Amino acid sequence: MRLVGLILGLVLVFPVFPLGRWQAFTLDTAQFAFIVTVLALSWDLLARTGQLSLAQGAFFGLGAYAAGLSAPALGTIGGLLLGAAVAALSSLLLGLATLRLQGIYFAIATLAFSEVMRTLVLKAEFTGGATGLPVAPAFGGSWVLGGYYLAAAVLVLGVLTSLWVGRSRLSYAQAAARQGEAVARVLGVAVVRVKLLSFLLSSALAGLAGGVYAMKTLFLSPYDAFGLGRAVEALVIPIFGGLYTTLGPLLGGLLLVALETWLRLEIKDGYLVVYGLILILAILFMPKGLVGLWRARGKTAKEDRNA
Amino acid sequence: MELLLQTLLNGVLAAGVYALVASGLALAVGVVGIVNFAHGEFLMIGAFVSYLLFAARGIDPLVSLGVAAVAVFLVGAISYYGLIRPVLSAPELNQMLLTFGLSVLLQNLALLLFGADTRVVSPPYQGATLSLGGLSFGVVPFAAFGLSLLILLGLYWFLGRTRLGFAVRAVAQNRLAPGLLGIETQQVYLLAFGLSAALAGIAGVMLSVMLYASPTVGFAYTLKAFAIVVMAGLGNLRGVLWAALALAMAEALVSTYVPGGGGWVEAVFFLVIFAVLTWRSWRRT
Amino acid sequence: MKRVLVGLLALLGLALAQTTLRVGVLLPLSGVSSVSGKAALNGIQLAADQVNAGGKVKLELVTADDGTDPAKAVPALTKLMTVDKVDIVIGGLASGVTYALSGPIKQYKPLFLCIGAASSVVENAFSGYDQFFHYHPWDYHNVAAALDFFKSLYSQGARKVAILYEDGPFGSAGIKIYQEQLQKAGYAVQAEPFKTGSGNFTAILTRFKAFKPDILYWIGYDVDALPISTQVRQVGLAPKLVYGAPPSWPVGFDKNPLSSDVVGMTAWLPSVSNTESRKFSAAYKKQYGEITDEYMAPMGYTIVLSLAKAAEAAGSADKDKIAEALAKVRMDTPFGPLAFKPSDTGKTQYQGFDSSIWLQFQYLGGTRRPVFPKSVAARPLRYPGSY
Repeated sequence: MRLVGLILGLVLVFPVFPLGRWQAFTLDTAQFAFIVTVLALSWDLLARTGQLSLAQGAFFGLGAYAAGLSAPALGTIGGLLLGAAVAALSSLLLGLATLRLQGIYFAIATLAFSEVMRTLVLKAEFTGGATGLPVAPAFGGSWVLGGYYLAAAVLVLGVLTSLWVGRSRLSYAQAAARQGEAVARVLGVAVVRVKLLSFLLSSALAGLAGGVYAMKTLFLSPYDAFGLGRAVEALVIPIFGGLYTTLGPLLGGLLLVALETWLRLEIKDGYLVVYGLILILAILFMPKGLVGLWRARGKTAKEDRNA
Repeated sequence: MELLLQTLLNGVLAAGVYALVASGLALAVGVVGIVNFAHGEFLMIGAFVSYLLFAARGIDPLVSLGVAAVAVFLVGAISYYGLIRPVLSAPELNQMLLTFGLSVLLQNLALLLFGADTRVVSPPYQGATLSLGGLSFGVVPFAAFGLSLLILLGLYWFLGRTRLGFAVRAVAQNRLAPGLLGIETQQVYLLAFGLSAALAGIAGVMLSVMLYASPTVGFAYTLKAFAIVVMAGLGNLRGVLWAALALAMAEALVSTYVPGGGGWVEAVFFLVIFAVLTWRSWRRT
Repeated sequence: MKRVLVGLLALLGLALAQTTLRVGVLLPLSGVSSVSGKAALNGIQLAADQVNAGGKVKLELVTADDGTDPAKAVPALTKLMTVDKVDIVIGGLASGVTYALSGPIKQYKPLFLCIGAASSVVENAFSGYDQFFHYHPWDYHNVAAALDFFKSLYSQGARKVAILYEDGPFGSAGIKIYQEQLQKAGYAVQAEPFKTGSGNFTAILTRFKAFKPDILYWIGYDVDALPISTQVRQVGLAPKLVYGAPPSWPVGFDKNPLSSDVVGMTAWLPSVSNTESRKFSAAYKKQYGEITDEYMAPMGYTIVLSLAKAAEAAGSADKDKIAEALAKVRMDTPFGPLAFKPSDTGKTQYQGFDSSIWLQFQYLGGTRRPVFPKSVAARPLRYPGSY
C-alpha cells in the first residue's frame, strides 16, 4: 500500500526530475506505459472474479474510437468519458450474454467478441474504416504536459479503483466467485451482480485508457486499436506482477514497459528473444509474480490483501 | 447448383488443416491441461523445416513431413521436459504466461535467424488441379485434407484401441487415479505434448506448400484452432472435426455468396463460435 | 618531412571543410513492414559509407526502430530529437506510423526526409510543414501509373477486372479511386476484400468465376502471393492476366513455376539499366554480398546521396540551409532524374518522384522483366498469360 502511494507520488512529480536530454523521451514512454498499466489493472479487476477476458483490447478500441470521434464536439474530458461509457455499455451486453461461461470458454467468447468488433469498425464508414481515424491531441495540444498528466490522472484513477475494490466488500464476493460459483451461491453472494459490476468497472477503465491512447498517437486504425496483442499484454502484466492485487499490475506494467524499451535500445535486433526468455524465467522462478517476491521477504507482516 | 457444390467442396477441403492444427491443440489442452500459446510456433518450425530442406537440398515436402514430425516432436518433448513439467501444478494463468513467453521467444528467434521475409517452396505438384464434372480443386489441398483425415483417424484409433491410448485417456480424465493404476502420468504427458507438437509440425509442412513459411505463419491458424477446440468442448477430440467442418463451411458460404463477404469471413467465424458458446451455456440447466 | 607536413595540412584543410551531419534514421526494423525497412536501412548505410569515404560530408547515422507501431514510433522519434539531438530525420515508411509522427515532427521541427508513406492522408497531415521532403510517389501517382497500364490492356481487349484487396489500410486506401477510374476507362469491375495472410482465397475466386474476369488484380502483401497464384489455378478461374501489387514479393517466388506470367508494379528492378542503377547494384552486391529486389533499398540510397549533395552545396550543417539547397538539387538516381517540386494537390512543397518512376514487370522464365511502359520494356508483355 505504501509502495503504491510512493509510485503514484513519483508519477506525479516525474516531469520535474532532472533527466536532461532524456526527459522528453522518458515522458513519452511513460505515457504509453501508464496507458498499458491501466489496461492491465482493468483486466485484473475482472480476473478477480475468476473470469479471464480477452476482450480488453476491444474495450480499449471502442473507448479509443468513441473518444476520438466525439472529442471535437465534447472536448477532451467529455470525449474520454463517452469512450468509457461506450466501453462499459458494450461490456454490459457482452457480460449478460456470456454470464454462464467460465474459464477458457469465457476467454474464447470474449476473443470472438473482440474480433467481431474490430471487423465492424473496419467496415463502418463513420470510423474512417481501414484508412484510419485522425484524432486531435488532448486539450488541443495547447498544454505541453497535458498529455502526460492526462495519462497520469487515468493511472491514478485506475489504481484508486483497484484499491477501492480490493478494500470493499466486493472483493470478498469476487474471491468467492473465483473459488467456485457453487461455493459463492452457498455463501449468499450474488454472483451475477458481482461479475457484471466487475466487468463494468473493468471495461470502463479499459475504454478510458483507449481514449487517452487515441489522443496520444493521434491516429487510430482498427488493426492497431483492437489489436489482439494489447489484450494479451493486459493479461501478461498482472501475471508477471502478481494477480489480484493493485501493486502487481502497477509495478509489472511500469517495469515490463521499461524493460522492453531498454532492451530495444540496447539490443535492437532480436530484443524480443530476451523479453520472451525473461517471461519464461519469471514464471519458473517467481510463480507469484513480483508481488510474491515482495511478500516472501516480509512473511512476518500480516496477510495484506491489497498489497 | 454447381456453385453450391464447389463452395461446399472448398469448405470441406479447408476444414482438413483446421482440424489438424486444432487436434494437436486439443491434445495439449485435453490431456496435459495446458493452454499452449506456442502451438503456432511449433507449426512455424515445421514450415521452416520444410523450407530449409527444400531450399538447401531440394527435398520434397512429402519427405519433410516425416522429418518435421520427428523434429517438432522433439522440440515439443524438450519444451515439456524443461518448461511445462515444472509448472504442471501451477495456476492455469501461470502456464499461459509461460507458453506465451515461449511463443515470443521462438517467433523472434526465427526472425533473428531467417528475417521477416516470406519464403516459398516449389514442389512440381504445387499448382496441380483435378477436375471432376465441373468441379475443380487443387491436388495439394485435397491430399492435405486426406492426410489430415488419416492422421486424425489414426489418432482416434490410438486413443480408443491401444493400451497406451487408454493410458492417455485415463490421465486426461483423472490426474490422480492413473498413478494408482500404475500408469506413469509423466510419460503420458510427455507423449501427448510431443504428439501435439508433431501434429503442428506436420500442419506446418502442409502450410509451407499451400501458403508460405515465415516467422508469423502460425499465428492466424492457431487463433482459429483455439476457437475450434473450445467450440468442440475441451477434451472432445471428435468434436474438433465437426467444429472445424462447420466453421470452414460457414467461411466458404459467406465469402462465395455474400457480396464483399471476403471481408466478413473472420467476423462470421467468430460470430458462429460466440453464438455456439453462449447458446450452449444457456441451454444447460 | 615536408611532404608529411603538407599531407597533414591537407588533412586539416579537409577536416575543416568537412561538414558533419547527425542524421536520425527511423524505420520499421520489426513488425509488418520490416522487410522494406531493413532494405531501406541497407541502402541508407551503403550511401552513407560512400559519402563518408568521399570526405566532403561526414554523416553520422543514429538508427531507431519504429516497430511499424505508432506507440513505439512516437517515443522513438522523441528520443532521436531530444536525446540524440539530430536535426535531420530520414524515415516514415508505413503510412499509419508516418501519420502518427506528424504531430511530434511539427513539434520538434526536424528536416524530415520521408521515404515511403504514399497515403494522401499523410499528405494532408504534413500540408503546411515546410521541412517535409517526400521522395516516394503519392497514392494518386500509383493509381495513375497502374491506370496507364490498364488502359494499354484495354486496347488489347481486356474488359473485366476482378479486384482482390486486403482489408487493412494498405489495400483499402485507394480502392474506391481504383474502382471509379477503371470504370471510367471502360472496365467492368468487381471488387472483394480479404484478410491478408489467411491464405484462403478459393471461395472468393469461385465467386469471381461467374464474372469471368480478364484481369485478376490483387492488392495485398507478400504472404498472399503464392496462395493466390496457386488457388487461381485450382478453382480454374483462368484469367488472362494476374496482376499483383504487394509492397514486396516472397523470397524465392521468382524461382517458383507458379509465378510465371504474374505481373506486378515496382519502382525499381536490379535489371533497370541506367547508370545510377548499375552503380547502386554493383555497390550493393559488393557491400552485402547479394543483390536486392526491394526498391526501398535504392530509395534509401537516393535519399542519403541527395542529402549529402545538398549539404555540400549548402556548405553548412544548418538544417534550414540544407533544406534550401535540397529544394534545388537536381540529380540522377537509380529511379531516373530527381528534382523537388510542389505536389500535384499543392498541399506539400517538396515532392521528389511521381508516377513516372513506376514500371510494370512480369515474371518470365524465373526473373522479373520490365514490360511496361514501352520506354523501359525489356520484353513484350505476355498477354494473355497462362495461369
